[in-house]
Amino acid sequence: MRQLPNAGREKPTAHYEGRYMWLFVICAVAFVALGLRLWELQIIEGERYYHASTDNIIRQVEVQPPRGEILDHSGVELATNRPSFDVYIQPSIFLANADEEVYELLKRYLSLSQRQLDRLRQRVDAREGEVLVSRDVSRSDVARLQEDQMRLPGVEVRINHQRYYPLHHVGAHALGYVSEVGPEQLRELQPYGYRRGNLIGQMGLERVYEELLHGSPGLSREVVDARGNPVSEAERDFLIGEYQEVGVVPGRDLVTNLDADLMVIIDEAMQDYAAGAAVAVDPNDGSVLALYSKPHFNPNAWSGRLSAMERMRTDSDPFRPMMDKTVNGYFPGSVYKIVGTWMGLAEGHYEPHDEETCRGFHELGNQRFRCWREQGHGRVDAYSSMVQSCDVYYYELAEKVDIDTMAEYARSFGFGEHTGIELPHEQAGRVPDREWHEERSPEGYQRGFDLNTIIGQGDNLTTPLQVAMAYGAIANGGKLYYPQIVDEIRNEEGDTLFEYEPQVRKRVDIDDEHLEVLREGLRGVVHDSQGTGRGSRLSHTEVAGKTGTAQVAQIGTVRIPHEERELHRRNHAWFSAYAPYDDPEIALVVFLEHGGGGGGDAAPVAMEILDRYLTRDTPEALSIRLGEKFDGDDET
Amino acid sequence: MINNGDKLRERISLLNWPLLAVVGLLAVLSLINLRSASMHSATAFHLAHAVWLGGGAVIALAMAFVHTRVFIRWSYVVYGVAIALLVAVALVGTEVNASKRWLDLGVFMVQPSELLKLAIILVTARFFHERSQDDSYHLHQLWPLFAAVGLGVFLVVNQPDLGTSLVILAIFMSMVLFEGVRWESLAALALVVVVALPVGYNVVLEDYQQDRVATFLDIESDAQGKSWQVQQSMIALGSGQMWGKGELEGTQVQKGFVPEHENDFIAANWAEERGFVGMVFLLLVYLAFIVCALNISRRADNRFGALVCVGVAAMYFWHVVVNLGMVTGVLPVVGLTLPLMSYGGSSSLVMLAGVGLLLNVSTHRRPF
Repeated sequence: MRQLPNAGREKPTAHYEGRYMWLFVICAVAFVALGLRLWELQIIEGERYYHASTDNIIRQVEVQPPRGEILDHSGVELATNRPSFDVYIQPSIFLANADEEVYELLKRYLSLSQRQLDRLRQRVDAREGEVLVSRDVSRSDVARLQEDQMRLPGVEVRINHQRYYPLHHVGAHALGYVSEVGPEQLRELQPYGYRRGNLIGQMGLERVYEELLHGSPGLSREVVDARGNPVSEAERDFLIGEYQEVGVVPGRDLVTNLDADLMVIIDEAMQDYAAGAAVAVDPNDGSVLALYSKPHFNPNAWSGRLSAMERMRTDSDPFRPMMDKTVNGYFPGSVYKIVGTWMGLAEGHYEPHDEETCRGFHELGNQRFRCWREQGHGRVDAYSSMVQSCDVYYYELAEKVDIDTMAEYARSFGFGEHTGIELPHEQAGRVPDREWHEERSPEGYQRGFDLNTIIGQGDNLTTPLQVAMAYGAIANGGKLYYPQIVDEIRNEEGDTLFEYEPQVRKRVDIDDEHLEVLREGLRGVVHDSQGTGRGSRLSHTEVAGKTGTAQVAQIGTVRIPHEERELHRRNHAWFSAYAPYDDPEIALVVFLEHGGGGGGDAAPVAMEILDRYLTRDTPEALSIRLGEKFDGDDET
Repeated sequence: MINNGDKLRERISLLNWPLLAVVGLLAVLSLINLRSASMHSATAFHLAHAVWLGGGAVIALAMAFVHTRVFIRWSYVVYGVAIALLVAVALVGTEVNASKRWLDLGVFMVQPSELLKLAIILVTARFFHERSQDDSYHLHQLWPLFAAVGLGVFLVVNQPDLGTSLVILAIFMSMVLFEGVRWESLAALALVVVVALPVGYNVVLEDYQQDRVATFLDIESDAQGKSWQVQQSMIALGSGQMWGKGELEGTQVQKGFVPEHENDFIAANWAEERGFVGMVFLLLVYLAFIVCALNISRRADNRFGALVCVGVAAMYFWHVVVNLGMVTGVLPVVGLTLPLMSYGGSSSLVMLAGVGLLLNVSTHRRPF
């Protein structure tokens, strides 16, 4: 580095002398200019700005975006929006002008309870921005409010979007419903822009796709005087100029694989049964065609002002209407026998035509395990044991294998695992193995469990959806797909933003020869003269299927009225099918909770659904039919 | 360096006490003001700010006692570090509001463009110091300096951060003009800028970079965000009138009408609560700061010191003028802080490091 210049010489900074004054002058001029601008703003125009800044004169209202629609595969609306008149109070204006009388007026016009009124008063007094008084007010009430506008300062009616489900209860569990963000949810969601009074999906697709369906809110700003009336245009332009709107981003639309018509068909076919579920999938790509759970709830009621009556009704129903039974686990009964048949062949214990003799029961030690047919089936092989649903054939097999092998084959079909459907409460069901029994059963693992497990009793739990996917895999040659409800995501202009591709979850490692035995057996159930489902065969289409009748060991924890006890001891009825046999296009599971028997109850329901689905009219006729069915049913 | 106690005592006696008083006053004002601005937000900005100011004060005092020649020697290194960090930002920076300005260090985030301000001041001062030329400069003599500044500014524009790049240019040009450039050269420079800007915009910048700059310049497209901010800020300021609404009484800021009120728009809070009188007082404090800086510059022993002081004075000056200009609605919103008053770690540290440079020049002169 260079030496600093010597002190002896002229001071090196002498060069700059005289320039400092210029810098100071420039600074002073600039600061005086700023001072003048401040004088202009704060002194000359100060009063005007002061008025602009006083209490809440500029009002910012968050504009909620329209929620994305949910459509069926052909564009039929499953969830949409309709206008709703909502009543708000602006506390600052209200409190400055209103007296007790106004509360009484509101109470009368909107039929508020005393409790609602007290809570309203609290929120208004807190002055934390506008308060939502009442959602979805009837047109006549709105008219009355508007007539009396002069006596109701700070009370205003705005039009918002109200969620509407044109099919009402049909598919309600899969679609879900929306409701106001609860206090606990709010704490969690505040960082994501949710405010008190915002709606959020609470179940089904509405909940899973909340982020896409929700959209993002906009802002609307206006200038009002202390009574809430808009100020003059000149004043408004002075205060907020053209910055009055910040655009909303509407939610994305979901195009699903669901078939509204099929779901309505299911609803009608199941009308004589109190509880159950139905699942239909396309075995070729895993797309979900129908989801149906019963008893249902009305999502329109749950998305609006839920009456105490409706809540009581759903809460006290022992069949639990809010539970989505398509993804809840139940004893599968004989629909589970596909696992046993395959295992017997694949483990080499049986050739397809090896026979066992059924005398109506099987003995293990001093325990007697019954076949459902007391007089027995005589000689049965792999085919006829499926067709006639002979239990003894499987008891014999169960003695040859251990429970862990059984569990392995069950899991290959996807039992005991989540299918990966986009629903929030999917259960994995249960495939019991030795370890599970050691841990859970009071006296540990016992041989007898194997015999119960193989016929779909014991501790198996499977969901109707799992059964549908497994039968779909048999139909398509061994591919276990991910079930997909949503096919496409669109923006409000109808442009496709994202399309879901079919995805194989895993391949069922089954030999073609064994698969063929399973298929023929399933066809025999319906078409063989001995078949358990022969009573409801279709004249026009070959169907492969399996009946199941699951014994219900005990009544659960829900309190059941005495007179209904008998009903709750009835068996679960299953029928799982795919059709047409040669070129499958639908796999369908019908599950009737305490519905009776697989052959007598579930199979006829399933066959009625398949019959109408496979021979139905063109989609045009369908939308007219849907329109007729639910029109005029709108007011809840 | 410091050899013995006598020398240290001498250095301490040479500390510029009026400057320390002014900076201390600014710090107190900023904490009072930020406390009020924090009343309705989740963060206690004043407490966090106090920590940053404390850290900055330690750095400033440490800088005061390092020998000036250390700064001369390391000035190019500081520049190199600043450039390296800017390149790092471009590569792995964190994007906030569509521009990449921040480097996430895990514990906190830093804005390397702030460091560049100091680096440019040091580099420019060293450049002129080494030449110590008494005649005014020709343009061709200055090209290394222009190249160095140009590179830095390019990286900052590219973030894009137009405000910071303009203020860096303003600081730099203030120092160059103070040093003395021939009028002919200045005219030529102006011509070059007029020609080079559109060419550079079209040839040098990639499409997406052009988009960024365009977005930045286009006030119309961002009307919803920025102009709303200015409008609300003007209402806040104006409504303060002569004496202000009083401590914690400002409705505009307290109710959240002014976005960024703890940061670039902090003056809105001060003006709303303290009125015209408070704002004039604040302006006088900044003017006093600049006068102190120029005073230290005039008594400096060498050109490096004198120029560094002018650079720091220019940094404060341009920040105050541009910030208040945008808060009062006469300049576009470009995102510059009000020195020490605005909440912000990187900015406050750099502003206090500037104070450290002033103190350093003040303590490293021969007493008269």
